[in-house]
Amino acid sequence: MAIMKLLDQMWVQNLCAILGFALLGAMVWSLSRSERWTAAWKRLRRDRIGLCSLGVILLYLVVGGLESVSVNTDSGGRTLLQTFTKFVPQERSYAAPLAATSLSVSDPKPLLGRHLLGTDALGRDTLVQTLRATRSALWIGGLTSLIYIPLGILLGMLSGYYRGWVDDAIQYLYSTIAAVPEILMLVAILLVLGKGLGTMAIALGITGWVGMARLIRGETLRQVERPYVAAARAMGQSDWKILTNHLLPNVMHLVLIKFVLGFSGLVLAEAVLSYLGVGAPVGTASWGAMIDASRSELSREPLIWWNLTSASGALFILVLALNLLGDSMRWAFDPKN
Amino acid sequence: MIPRPFRRRFALLAAVFLCVGLIAGCSNNPFPAPLETTAEDGSPWKVRYGAIAEDPQTLDPQVMYDAVSRRVLEPVQECLLEYQPFKTDPYELTPCLLRSLPERVERADGGIIYRCTLKEGILFHDDPCFPGGRGREVVAEDVQFAFQRIADPKVECPGLSTLQDYVEGMAESYEAARKTDSFDYSKPISGFRVTGKYTFEIQLKAAYPQILYWLAMHFTAPVAREAVTYYDGKSRDGIARDLFRFHPVGTGPFQISEWKRNTRIRLRRNPHYRTTVFPESGWEPSRDAELKPLAGKALPLVDEVCMTIFKETIPVFLLFRQGYLDTMGVGKDAFSSLITPSRELSAKYKERGVSLHRETQPSTYFLVFNMEDPVVGSNRKLRQALSAAFNAQEHLNIFFNSVPIVAEQLLPPGIAGYRKDFRNPYGYNLEKAKALLAEAGYPNGKDSKGNVLELTLDTTGGSANERVMAEFEQRQFEQLGIKVKVVENPFARLLEKLDKGSFQISGGSGWGADYPDPENFFFLYYSKNFPPAGKNHTRYKNPEFDRLFETMATMENSPEREVMARKMNDLLSEDVPHILTLHRSTFSLTQPWAPQTQDNPLLEGGLKYAVVDYELRERLRKDWNHKPLWPLGLAAAAVAALAATLVRARSKQ
Repeated sequence: MAIMKLLDQMWVQNLCAILGFALLGAMVWSLSRSERWTAAWKRLRRDRIGLCSLGVILLYLVVGGLESVSVNTDSGGRTLLQTFTKFVPQERSYAAPLAATSLSVSDPKPLLGRHLLGTDALGRDTLVQTLRATRSALWIGGLTSLIYIPLGILLGMLSGYYRGWVDDAIQYLYSTIAAVPEILMLVAILLVLGKGLGTMAIALGITGWVGMARLIRGETLRQVERPYVAAARAMGQSDWKILTNHLLPNVMHLVLIKFVLGFSGLVLAEAVLSYLGVGAPVGTASWGAMIDASRSELSREPLIWWNLTSASGALFILVLALNLLGDSMRWAFDPKN
Repeated sequence: MIPRPFRRRFALLAAVFLCVGLIAGCSNNPFPAPLETTAEDGSPWKVRYGAIAEDPQTLDPQVMYDAVSRRVLEPVQECLLEYQPFKTDPYELTPCLLRSLPERVERADGGIIYRCTLKEGILFHDDPCFPGGRGREVVAEDVQFAFQRIADPKVECPGLSTLQDYVEGMAESYEAARKTDSFDYSKPISGFRVTGKYTFEIQLKAAYPQILYWLAMHFTAPVAREAVTYYDGKSRDGIARDLFRFHPVGTGPFQISEWKRNTRIRLRRNPHYRTTVFPESGWEPSRDAELKPLAGKALPLVDEVCMTIFKETIPVFLLFRQGYLDTMGVGKDAFSSLITPSRELSAKYKERGVSLHRETQPSTYFLVFNMEDPVVGSNRKLRQALSAAFNAQEHLNIFFNSVPIVAEQLLPPGIAGYRKDFRNPYGYNLEKAKALLAEAGYPNGKDSKGNVLELTLDTTGGSANERVMAEFEQRQFEQLGIKVKVVENPFARLLEKLDKGSFQISGGSGWGADYPDPENFFFLYYSKNFPPAGKNHTRYKNPEFDRLFETMATMENSPEREVMARKMNDLLSEDVPHILTLHRSTFSLTQPWAPQTQDNPLLEGGLKYAVVDYELRERLRKDWNHKPLWPLGLAAAAVAALAATLVRARSKQ
């Protein structure tokens, strides 16, 4: 509970955001020095689709970053994105895109301003809400990756390297987890832990490492047969050294590809869970929650389509970009090219 | 494999069958055929079609306590008294199973006796639980049995906690049964005496005029012991049967003939029904032409009621538009296409002869403060500020299409003590709210050390609508510069928090009247009704309020009682243990062939008064469901062409 309290503090959240971005930067910088990675980057630079996707993802990262950092203002804590979009007026209720009057059932009243993508039930600008929701998606993707990737790598490599009973035990564990329908397990975990971005990341992390562990286990099994591992063994290096110094760098490219592709799955999972009502808490903008709210909006007359369209559009573009980048990276890292 | 020469013929045949099937099966009536085609007297069998939102939870009269179950049980199980269907301001009780209103006799020792006499010759429904399947006559012992069931711990009657305070011997019977773990039905409750075949007396420990309202609730409705034994007993004779709570055996105008879970409930007229007739008066003189012809007629006025269970609201609207439902409540979805900005029915539906009705339920909704909370509980100005920051009108504009009324006071319209001209002194006024917040010690939302005031709002969570509503409430308070943290809870968890008092502000509370008496609202703030035994979730405690409540609770309605109710209302308005939002009010529509023939929201549909013009419905349904056949023909031609092309392509290969 104390940790949850701490996580509510503004400075802690800012620190987390900055640390997260720093970590991402450090990772990219350290990887850029490895030979294999520079070669892959060279290939990727010639891939126009891959570069475009990368650009789109960077844009999302910037928007999400702006929403993740808060500053103190006269009226309490506001995120940078909120401060930048302060000029957008708040209406009383629904307004259609670019409409001059409100969509009220009683008499339509003039609006305080025009809204490119209209406003939602509480009169908030849909475009701003859509941009703000980027944060939830990125946080879920990032936090969950921090949980499931180390777990997947560690268990996958252990099981592939030692085989025998270690392999049996780990396989048993992940087969059990994989046997439970994922969405049921997620909902169950969230009902126990309570709502929140942090708990959602934990829940997704618990269920998400299985695929990664399987992949790494397979690759490790293959690499262990290679002569360089036998050589390292013959030179008397410890198992730990072999795992970290020799095997890890050789499975890292798989981790990166899986991370990028998995990220899109996590963004979707966030939307699905919010749609089911166990996702983002009240007050946190989220695409899933917007889509959920638009269920009743679609059956109204006049039809309110803009909330659904902008939330699913933003979701679609991010997921598409991640998938395209993942494919490009797989191609770039393929030794046959 | 089919031999090749036959294959072409097979495909053609299939296409022809498909077309014929499509055209033949295109009646869009979604309901099963009526139970009969003609009534006993040879007139056409009249069916009334309605919709309910879910399966009833229980139809045990001593347990049933929710609106949906009530809608189904009301036409099946009659009570001792009932509400006059047209008088709503104030509401009026009339006898139903009783011959007349009970006679009140004061005893020398301060106790009160109510003498009641049942009508003679009223029969229970025909049911296999009776010998020969024929319903027997209702006698005073059946009412006694109902009172015993109220006191039976295993039945878990929601009315027990109140009734045991007033009915003599009820608490003792309950305690005795709890000790031995079984209720002894051979021992009568000492406060309930059967004095003849049709007469009985209820003895009260103290004055409690509201007991009459309890006699109009299903808790006190007579129950045949045979029915409970037959449906809940151990001996089942190898026959599968429903439990009693799914198979009520009442005396009402209808009896359940089919209950398909999650699909529909069909009620069939009770051929022995003689208890009541259509009232002779009570309506506004302007409705004479419509209602006079019905006066004194035998009830019910239709032969069958078909209630279909629709969990979504869209199909209800669509079926109403096609003429397949006789009534519907106007929900959010269809609102704009049905109701004009000036709150009238849209021209398209007016033309069709549909009429619009507005019904205000005796209910009040509010957010509650925890009066024991160190921040909001001890700071009256803070509560006043929060109340004045809440824009109740906008709340109901956004979430309820501006249909309900803003609640200015705890008592809703129609309840003695309601004041039409009263305005909540802490109704929406943002400037005043800011000033009050400064007086409360939080200028601009900050305390003396400059920290922003942070409050916690507990709500129910899950659906998108609840989420948006929570965001709305959060925004109302945050206008003051304070910070509000919203905690979403499953409904059961929120109730637990309310009972334990572990919350600061809770959203989404409300109270719908059990019976139309101010006592039934003020008891929510009586200090001896703290949870878990009582419903005083705010934990409001005010000695003056308590003193007034104790006096007014047991008084008959009178001018003095009204004065006291005013005083209590003023105390609550000043102390603000809650933020009042609205009195629930809804729009409903009726088709031209099914005019509304009762106005009382307490009757939950009042199906025994419902009428239907059979011929008009048939005619209009046909008019409204003109089906052009050419698209079907076109589709069939396309399918046939496609099939022919495919067959030709295959045979060429």
